Amino acid sequence: MRNKLSRRALLAGAGGVTIGLPFLDAMLGRGRTHAQDTTLPKRYAIVFAGQALGGDGYPNDQSVMGGVRSTETGHYIVPPSTGAAWEMTTPLIPLAAQRDQFSIVSGMRIPYSTSSTDPSDVPAGGAYRDFHGGGASPLLSGVRSLEARFTARGITSDQLVADLNLAEGLPTASLVLRAQPAWYLSGSDFSGREYISYRGDANPIEAQTSPRVAFDALFRGFVPPDDEAARQRADFDRRSRRSVLDVVLARRDQVLRGVSSADRIRLEEHYDQIRALELRVAAIPDPPAGLCQSPSDPGADPGIGGNNTGAGASDIVPGLGYSEEDTRARVMADIIHMAFVCDMTRAATLQITSFQSHMSVLPVTTAMGTPIHADLHENGHNGDPDNKGQHAVSLMLGWHVGHYAYLLDKLARTAEGDGAVLDNSCVVFMAEAGHGRQLNDAVSDFATHSVERMVMLVGGRAGGLMPGRHIDAAGAHPAACLVSAMQSVGRTEGTFGEVTGEISALFG
Amino acid sequence: MRAVRWLGLVSIAVTTACTGAIDQGPSGATRIGASTVPSGEVRRLSQAELDNALRDLLGDDTRPASRMIVTDRYTPFDNDTTTQRASETLIVGLEALAEDVGRRAIATPESRARVVPCTPSGPGDEACYRQFLGGLLRSAFRREVTAVDIDAYLPLLAFATEDNAFVDNDFYTAVDLAIRAVLQDPEFLHRIERGDPSDQPGALALDDQEIATRMAFLLWGTLPDGPLLDDAAAGRLVDPGSRRAVAQRMLLDGRARDQLHRFHAMWLGYRTIPHDAALATAFGTETAALIDRVVFEEPQSYLNVFTMDETWVNAMLADQYGLVHPSGAEWGWVPYGATGRGGILSHGSVLSAFSKFTDTSPTQRGLLVRRRLMCEDPGRPPPTVNVDVPPGTGTDAVCKTDRYAVHREIASCATCHAQIDPIGFGLERFDVGGRYREHDDGHPECAIDGVGHMPTGEPFSGPGELGRLVVDGGYVEECVVEQWLTFAVGRPLAAADTRSMGRMVTEFAADDHSFFELMLDYVESDRFGLIAEEP
Repeated sequence: MRNKLSRRALLAGAGGVTIGLPFLDAMLGRGRTHAQDTTLPKRYAIVFAGQALGGDGYPNDQSVMGGVRSTETGHYIVPPSTGAAWEMTTPLIPLAAQRDQFSIVSGMRIPYSTSSTDPSDVPAGGAYRDFHGGGASPLLSGVRSLEARFTARGITSDQLVADLNLAEGLPTASLVLRAQPAWYLSGSDFSGREYISYRGDANPIEAQTSPRVAFDALFRGFVPPDDEAARQRADFDRRSRRSVLDVVLARRDQVLRGVSSADRIRLEEHYDQIRALELRVAAIPDPPAGLCQSPSDPGADPGIGGNNTGAGASDIVPGLGYSEEDTRARVMADIIHMAFVCDMTRAATLQITSFQSHMSVLPVTTAMGTPIHADLHENGHNGDPDNKGQHAVSLMLGWHVGHYAYLLDKLARTAEGDGAVLDNSCVVFMAEAGHGRQLNDAVSDFATHSVERMVMLVGGRAGGLMPGRHIDAAGAHPAACLVSAMQSVGRTEGTFGEVTGEISALFG
Repeated sequence: MRAVRWLGLVSIAVTTACTGAIDQGPSGATRIGASTVPSGEVRRLSQAELDNALRDLLGDDTRPASRMIVTDRYTPFDNDTTTQRASETLIVGLEALAEDVGRRAIATPESRARVVPCTPSGPGDEACYRQFLGGLLRSAFRREVTAVDIDAYLPLLAFATEDNAFVDNDFYTAVDLAIRAVLQDPEFLHRIERGDPSDQPGALALDDQEIATRMAFLLWGTLPDGPLLDDAAAGRLVDPGSRRAVAQRMLLDGRARDQLHRFHAMWLGYRTIPHDAALATAFGTETAALIDRVVFEEPQSYLNVFTMDETWVNAMLADQYGLVHPSGAEWGWVPYGATGRGGILSHGSVLSAFSKFTDTSPTQRGLLVRRRLMCEDPGRPPPTVNVDVPPGTGTDAVCKTDRYAVHREIASCATCHAQIDPIGFGLERFDVGGRYREHDDGHPECAIDGVGHMPTGEPFSGPGELGRLVVDGGYVEECVVEQWLTFAVGRPLAAADTRSMGRMVTEFAADDHSFFELMLDYVESDRFGLIAEEP
């Protein structure tokens, strides 16, 4: 178990450089309580896919693959049967060996006005009638959107869970990671599509996109307990890092002297973050023990790929519009897994792709043996000339699900208490959109731009979750699913944002 | 030149609030009224600026900022201070970046020699450490440094002298740590402008060092170099006239060219080009050559960027465009002749930007022209329109012109699209790689007539005629000033900026549209050395 940060440990780490004791005192009282608790920590994670569940205008059984139109069933994510005997579908194949570890919640819907596009007519928890942007806030925060902006208007579920655990004084309140590092279109930028974690209305948390930096932030200084030389080197490293930050912080008053009050506010925010980093560095990590060990070093980050706009279908080649997101997502899942095992954090988000993602799907689909010359966004809308519709979309959805499956599997294989870490976790898979009527015109069915027929996967057994089933939520709000997910890790409220409701069937 | 269009962009409220008059200063230099003093906000270096600064400060050209810290917003420029916020992710990334750079700086005898000007007599050589710090801090903080500044870093020397059998520490350990401390320092990462009371009401005057930093980041996209800091120390930058002379020298530096290339790439949306490396590099070379020639090498009207009748190509690009190969050298200027091409709008760089769905988008190209070249906002489509789906999806129409017909046939679309799509259709014979075509890709039955129309109804065909129209219509000369001023102030233009813009446009015309003079005039202007007092 993790040691309570002691004053002695801090002083031992000070390296002769004066440190601000009164300030550090603030954290000294924040002990870790669960060591004395009989219950094990409860973890919560969201894995996000920036795509819809089906192809534009393609009913659930329709696809064109290799230029051939087909009406094969089984590609759409939702199985025909509910209950435990649900049929395998293409996107869920990566989870085939874990079907008793997660439930499928289908048939969810974000409300919207079918008769009005006026912002004042958006219902509580509802979507403004412009899909790109309109669907984000109610999905992430349960608060209605009022314009076509990718900005959540309330705190997100992962942050509510992080707040539940604030008193634990965990090294990392929440882990916010994104595998897709670049927007890939030259004439525009993410503009909010890169956020799924918010502290509150229009207050997003910037995701870490570098696996390397994310790894170092958590596991640097993890040295085997019996390696005295490594421990000494880590100690030198930590002391010198702190001294560097102390030098920066000591210059604060000088730098702020004479600046305007507006500038002062901005610079102080910057300094506050440096001070927070200094505190994290000061906290001496526990020697890794038992199953808590550093994941293998990820090495240097993969390169960030070039852009992807309209290069002509045949011109989209690996390396364009792709930054090895597959590798990045895997490393990030490894990091989340071990951060949970070591109880460094209890809330995490892994945004594999951004909202409206323009990541090229060619490298991933080529590895699957079905090359599709498109980016993820157009894969949903049009595919490429030879591959489109349900099958094409489900292949990429399955790629996202594969990373979710990987995380579930690692948590399931890590023992804890009488069971596994997954037994004390709730891991939600969330896609950007459903596959129902188009939000923009409120008429066209089987649209990618839809907040109808939405699906979430809820993995783990935290708080009595009874996984293994397909639950038809019968039009419930996706936020209701998150209410239940959060309840499984200790939140008691029955509301989330503007939404009241739950999917109680998740608990059997 | 047409009547100044920019007045129409300024809101009534702004116009009536305009109380300051433009008057003439004693030396004939124009003095500005209080209402045109720009606000000054702290600005964090963008990823590109930080990478440039690391190159110039430490000789590190690995461009780590583009990999390790939070990506910039492009609005369309990367330096919009209103989009910058500190976050845990940023700070963690900056620490990683500082360590990465520090490690490389002391990795080899050559890299050490580049950053440390003396040979340390031992791990604790304080004199040498102070000397090193003096140089590093002056460059990094863009000002003269004091003993107090240097003293702040001396505790780090303890890590050089620590007797520790487990680490391989020496003098350069402390060098590494100092570099890390400097690179994480807000004074390095931000451009902080304090200003001093001035004789202009409501305005604070920047000091020489602050002006040097402004000049360097505007004209070079990086830190001031030694000579520029010397100019600042000698007090040569507060005076507009001598400031102009310094700027003139700076524009002869290759970094000024790089900066102008960057400005154009962000403005016209081709900052990364969606083609394979060889082609993308060639497009970049072509466009840079045109900008260099017009602005720096054969100074001429900037408007020629949009009307130039020849272009800089190698054999690969010539084949791409269907032009003759350059003779004599690998690269050369070749005439467009009667190809319908002319100016930068014919380049693969620009033609590859603003596309959609793996093909050209007449709507997106039309928006490029309206928003970026005409500085107009055609507005957003109504929410009920799903703009992500190519027009005509679900219909049987094969040819793009037929599919886009829905934009004309649906009344709610037609009003706006009639002002956008017809511009793009005039470029349709030029694909996303800049190649010429006469029918839709893969559909010989879908002939492209290549005829476009400006919002005024004027017909044109091809990028050559379009370039001529946006020049002759007076759009480019005003819009480029607006874009460049936005880039210069690093935030959306405020009322005080738009008031100044009209005069800049007038002077630009009076200088035969010399972009070189535009930059010099701006740096020389009184407002360049001022910031508004906080209300």
